[in-house]
Amino acid sequence: MKVGLFVTCLVDLMRPSIGFAALKLLESAGYEVVVPSEQTCCGQPGYNSGDRRAAQMLAKKMLAEFSGCDYVVVPSGSCGGMIRAHYPELLAEFPELGAEVEAIARKTFELTDFLVNVARIDSVPGQFSGSVTYHDSCSGLRELGVKAQPRALLGKVPGLSIREMQKPEECCGFGGTFAVKYGDISTRIADLKCEDAQSVHADAIVLGDLGCMLNIEGRLRRRGDSKTRVLHVAEVLAGMTDPSSDMDRRTGS
Amino acid sequence: MSARENILRRIRDANGRAGAATETERRSVLERFGSHPRRPLPAMDWEIGPHFRERCLAMMSTVDEVASVADIPQAVARYVKQKNLPVAGACWPAFADLDWKGAGLSIEARPSHGDDKLGVTGVFCAIAENGTLMLLSGEHTHATTSLLPENHIAVVPASRIVRAMEDGWDLLRAETGTLPRQVNFVSGPSRTADIEMTLVIGAHGPFRVHVLIVGD
Amino acid sequence: MQITSNDFKQAASRKLADPKVQKALRNAKGKLVVARAKVILELDNFEEIREDAARIRDFGLLNMDVLLEEWEKRATAAGTIVHWAETAKEVNDLVIEIARQHQVRKIIKSKSMLGEETNLNHALEEAGLDVRETDLGEYIIQQFGETPSHIIAPAVHKSMDDIADLFAEKHKRPRLDDITALTHEAREILRPHFLDADMGISGANFLVAETGSSMIVTNEGNGRMTTTMPRVHVAITGVEKVVATLEDVSSLLRLLTRSATGQSISNYLSFTTGPKRAGDKDGPGEFHVIIVDAGRTKILASEIREALRCIRCGACMNHCPVYQNIGGHAYGWVYPGPIGSILTPAYKGIENAIDLPNAATLCNQCGVVCPVKIPLPDLMRKLREQQVEKNLRPWTERAGLRVWAWMAARPRVYGAFVRVASRMGKLLGDRSGLLHRLPGAGAQWTSGRDLPAPKGKTFRELYARHRGGKSS
Repeated sequence: MKVGLFVTCLVDLMRPSIGFAALKLLESAGYEVVVPSEQTCCGQPGYNSGDRRAAQMLAKKMLAEFSGCDYVVVPSGSCGGMIRAHYPELLAEFPELGAEVEAIARKTFELTDFLVNVARIDSVPGQFSGSVTYHDSCSGLRELGVKAQPRALLGKVPGLSIREMQKPEECCGFGGTFAVKYGDISTRIADLKCEDAQSVHADAIVLGDLGCMLNIEGRLRRRGDSKTRVLHVAEVLAGMTDPSSDMDRRTGS
Repeated sequence: MSARENILRRIRDANGRAGAATETERRSVLERFGSHPRRPLPAMDWEIGPHFRERCLAMMSTVDEVASVADIPQAVARYVKQKNLPVAGACWPAFADLDWKGAGLSIEARPSHGDDKLGVTGVFCAIAENGTLMLLSGEHTHATTSLLPENHIAVVPASRIVRAMEDGWDLLRAETGTLPRQVNFVSGPSRTADIEMTLVIGAHGPFRVHVLIVGD
Repeated sequence: MQITSNDFKQAASRKLADPKVQKALRNAKGKLVVARAKVILELDNFEEIREDAARIRDFGLLNMDVLLEEWEKRATAAGTIVHWAETAKEVNDLVIEIARQHQVRKIIKSKSMLGEETNLNHALEEAGLDVRETDLGEYIIQQFGETPSHIIAPAVHKSMDDIADLFAEKHKRPRLDDITALTHEAREILRPHFLDADMGISGANFLVAETGSSMIVTNEGNGRMTTTMPRVHVAITGVEKVVATLEDVSSLLRLLTRSATGQSISNYLSFTTGPKRAGDKDGPGEFHVIIVDAGRTKILASEIREALRCIRCGACMNHCPVYQNIGGHAYGWVYPGPIGSILTPAYKGIENAIDLPNAATLCNQCGVVCPVKIPLPDLMRKLREQQVEKNLRPWTERAGLRVWAWMAARPRVYGAFVRVASRMGKLLGDRSGLLHRLPGAGAQWTSGRDLPAPKGKTFRELYARHRGGKSS
C-alpha cells in the first residue's frame, strides 16, 4: 500500500522534523511512503480568506499530485480537514472531477487517525519520560473526529503520562490568518489556553497541528515560560524530541 | 402590489418556485397539519405521577396532595399558614362553592386584579415531563388568576397529568377542537437571571406556585 | 439600533482591556456553557432531535409562503388583524399607526430583537409615545440608554453595582446591594405600568401555522402581562419564524430552552390565538401581528439561507471563543457572536460589517452546539468570498494571497522562496530560537506573542538531500 505524505506548508517552512517524524512512523508501520515533490499548499489560506479560485487551483494540483497513492496522510488536522471536509464543496463547480475529489477525500487521513484506524499499530518507536497535556485542534476534532487517537498512541509511549487540561477542546485562537488580522483577540484566546495548559504542570504540551503549536508556544514564551516544551504528537511518537540534535541528523534516516 | 404580495412573491422566487403555490405544495403543508406527526421524543419511561411531582419541585413549585375536591380549602389554608401568606384572593368560578370560609380563607370567584395575593386556578391538564401546568384562557378560566397574584395555587386532578406537551395538544384537540385566546404552559414561579446571571425567584409573575394534586 | 460594526477592531480592543466587561463575560460563560452541557444530557436522543429540528426549519423555509398564508387564514379567523411589512420603517410606521388609532399613550414591551433591528423604541418615542421595556435586562439597559449586548441576557455586561447605582438614581430610592432586592424593586416599579398600559408590544419566537398562533418563550411573567393586560397587543415577527405544527414547535422548544439558558423548559410558554373571545374577562380587545421581511427574503434567496433556521437561542455566541472574550457590543449591531457575524452583513450590507465574518477562527465551537445545525463557519466563509468578489478586502491582503497562490502553483519558485524564508527566519531568531518582532501584519502576532523561528532548512531540501528524492 502506497502512502502519500503531505507534510504541509508550515511543516516544510517551520518544523521539518515533524515531516520526518511522520515519515518514520509510517515506515515503521510497514508502508511504502512517497513524498510527492511538487507538493506545496492545500489551498486553505486562500479558501478561508474567500479567494475561492486560488484555492480551487491548488486543490486541483493536489488531486493530481496524490492520484497515484492509496492513502494520503497529513500530520495536521487543519490541512487534513481541508482535503476531506472541504475539497468536495470547493470543487463542486467541477463535476467532471467528482470521482477524483471523492477519492482523495476518502483516502486522506490525519496522521494519528491513520496510525490507529488504518495501520492499527501496536507500538511506537518513541519514548518520553515525563508528563504531557494534549490540545485538541479544532479542525482535527470537529472536522475529522480526532480525539481518542492521539491519546491512544501517546498511551503507548514508554515513560509518558497524560494530564488533561480543563478544556482541551477549546480553540487556541490561531485560526490561520485570524492570528494576524485580529492579533489582540487571538493573543487573548491563546493566553487562556496557556493558562489552562500550565495549570496541570505538564512537561510538554502536545498537539497535532503546527499552526496551534506556533501560537501556543509563542504565547507561552512571551508569558515567560521557557521550560514547558511544545511538541507535535508525531515528534513524540517517533522519539524525535531531542532539541539538541543537529538539524541534519533529525531527518530520521 | 401590496407588501403582502411582494413578500410572498419574493419568498417563492427565493425558493425557485414560479407563479402561485401549486396544489401539491399546498397539500404537503396541509397534510402535515392534518397528521401533525410527533417529532422524535426523548425516552420518557418514568411513572407519570412521581415524575410530575419531582419535576414540580425541581422547577421550584411546591406540591401537596388531597383525596378529593372538598379537601382543597383546608389544604390551601395549611399552605397559607405555613408560608405566612394573606388569606384573601380570587379563584376560578369552578371553585366558587368550596368551603373557603370554613377554612378561614376569603376567596372570591372572580378574575384577579392587581392587588390579589392569592390566585386559585385549575388546569386544563398538567405535564409530567417538566412539572408544567397547561392553562387555557376562557370565560371561566381567567388568565389573570395565575398571573397577577403573588401566590398561585393550581388544582391538578391526578387523572389530568399527562406525559409530554404533545399529549397536552392531543387532549386539547380532542376536547375543545380549537385553541383559546391564550394557552399558557406554567412551570413554577416566575424567575430571572438578568443580573450577573444570578437566578432570582419572583420576577413579574407569581413568587410561588403551589400544586395541589387531587386524587380522583 | 444604529450600526457601528465597522468599528469592530477598536471596540474589541477596548473590551479586551476593560476589566468589568472581562469579569462579566467570565461569569456568564461559566454559567451558560456549563448549564447547557448539563441539561442536554436529559435528552438521550439529543442529536436525533437536533437533526430533526434542522429538518423542521428547512421545511419551514421551503414552504414559507404557503405556511404564512395558512397561518394568516387561521389567525384572521380567530380575530387577529394581520399586517405585512417589507422594511424596518414600515414596521415602525404600522405600530405608530395602530397606537394612534387606539389613542395609545403608554406602551409596555416584552423583548423583541426585531424591534431592535427597526429601532422601534426610538420611533415610538419620537412619535410622542411612552415606551417601557419590561424584561428586566431590557429595562435595565433602557434605563442606561444602552443597547443589549446579548440576545438572551441583554444586561450581561453590567455588574450588580452598576445596576444598584442605576436603580438608586432612577427609582429615587435608597441604594440596594442585593440582587434579589434589586429584582423585586424592579417588579414593584414596573407593576403599575403593566396594569395601566394601553398597548403591549411583543415579539414572537414562533408562528404556528396549523393554529394561526403566535408564541413567546419567557421566564419573568412580563411576556404574559404584555400579551394579556393592555387593550391592544401588537406582536412583530420575521417571516422566517413560521413553523408548521404544534408538534414542530414542541420539539424545537425542547432544544431552545436548553440551548439558551440551560433550562429544561422556560417558566412560561404562551400561545396566543386572536384577541379576547366572547365571554373572556381578560385579554386585549385587539390583537395585531406584523409579519416582517426587512431583508429576510433576500437571505432566503442567497447562499446563506441556512442562517434563517436560527431560533435565537444564543448558544453560538455563548460557545464562541471570540465572543467570550470581547462581548456583544463590539459586534456593533443587534445580533452578536457567530450568528451576528452573518446576519449583520446580510441585513445591513456587507460593506457595513467588513470585520465580522473575518473575526472568527472557524473553530466551529458554534456549529456543534447550534440546535438547528446552521453551518455557521461555512456561512462566514461565503461572506468572506463575497467580500473578495466585491473587492472589499485591503489590497495588501489580496496581493499577499495572490502571491502565495502564484508561488504555490510553481513548486520550484515556491521551494526557493521557502528556503530563503527559512534561512532568514532562523537568522532573525534570538539564542532561544524565538522571533520577538515582525513587521507589517506580523506585528499583530508579535505584539502579544513570540514566534518560534524556522530551523534554517526546509523539509523538501532535507528530504531531497537525505532521502534522495527530487527537491524542488
